[in-house]
Amino acid sequence: MSFFFVDPEIYEKHKDDVLALSQSIQVNYPEHLPPDQRSPALSDRQIAERLGLDERTVREIRCVGEREYYDIEEYDRAAIFKETQCRAYAEKGLSGITAKYVERARAAKKD
Amino acid sequence: MTAPAERMSADNIKGELLAFAAKGGALVAGVADANAFGAAPEGHRPGDLLPGAKSVFVVGGAQPRAADWKSPHASFMETSSTSDRINALGLRVANQIERNYGYYALMVPAGVDRGRQPFVSVAFAAELAGCGSKSIAGPVLNRDHGFMYYSALITTLPLPADGPLEDPVCPAPACVDMWDEHGTTPCLATCPIDEGGCLGGCIKDGRITETRYDRARCTTRAQTYWAPGFQQALQATLEEKDDAKRRMIINSSGFTRTLWSMTYSNVSQGQCFECMRVCPVARPKHDLR
Repeated sequence: MSFFFVDPEIYEKHKDDVLALSQSIQVNYPEHLPPDQRSPALSDRQIAERLGLDERTVREIRCVGEREYYDIEEYDRAAIFKETQCRAYAEKGLSGITAKYVERARAAKKD
Repeated sequence: MTAPAERMSADNIKGELLAFAAKGGALVAGVADANAFGAAPEGHRPGDLLPGAKSVFVVGGAQPRAADWKSPHASFMETSSTSDRINALGLRVANQIERNYGYYALMVPAGVDRGRQPFVSVAFAAELAGCGSKSIAGPVLNRDHGFMYYSALITTLPLPADGPLEDPVCPAPACVDMWDEHGTTPCLATCPIDEGGCLGGCIKDGRITETRYDRARCTTRAQTYWAPGFQQALQATLEEKDDAKRRMIINSSGFTRTLWSMTYSNVSQGQCFECMRVCPVARPKHDLR
């Protein structure tokens, strides 16, 4: 088959490292943060150098890993999340979203 | 007819382009220095896409209408993105630069490259062009208009750069107050990363000092019914051994909606607006009769 895809064994072996280095969950990624505080992701080439792989393999591992990070149930939850939030905002405005934080803060003050 | 570029100053050309953009419907426009993208990943800077790049011209607009934000029907905004309109304007500005001033002008594609990375971050370009500043939720917010879509074009035409805003738009004063009192902001409260959402962060002395963003989870929300959703549904279909159940999956509302969105892929990639729905920046513009 001429269509390039990554070997499943290589994928399983390196998936977690690739996702961590490419920052699937970004922490202090934005460009506007001070340089000493920023932690931008490594590029596919940089990850490849670090893991001893070629760039194309890293790219494929990252692309597949990002897609598989959450399963189809999460997509269903996403649809419910949007419907719930949108309706709460339409009915109660911002308080529909933030009321629980206000209640938590009040409870903390009582304690 | 516009005067030849060699007889015009860079300031005059910029003024003409800003006027052209405004006439075309841009709410904001600005210029970033093409060499100011050092914080962008290698291979994703203006010069990587267009050798000899001098400037990046950014236009913003095509916002959702106030009524869109008011609708209680989430799937309405899932379906009605207007980002294609600002991209059309970006392309017109690019044509204007090539035809009237004789310089190369390359519009940054709205999509992503083979590795699913933006060719050049349009959000970063908008920041560097002074159109707004990046919010703790991610999108670039304009002080007067809030959330909007942006388009960027890279050009060899040297133009005076605007540079980033000195005072960031986010966090808004109301959000700073909320952070000080409750340790959250409207957007973080809507989609908290520690409670199954996408966003986290910290504000100190009125400035964003930390951010956390679950890109993969945001994909499930912003592209629920697009390519990622389709791949998940296809996987489920192929794994299902029972013919009857497979038929139910293929003809399900979710699978159908995904296919529908994909056929209109140019206008339906952004399918979650919940963090922006609650943003107070330019909020009075959403309050109509």
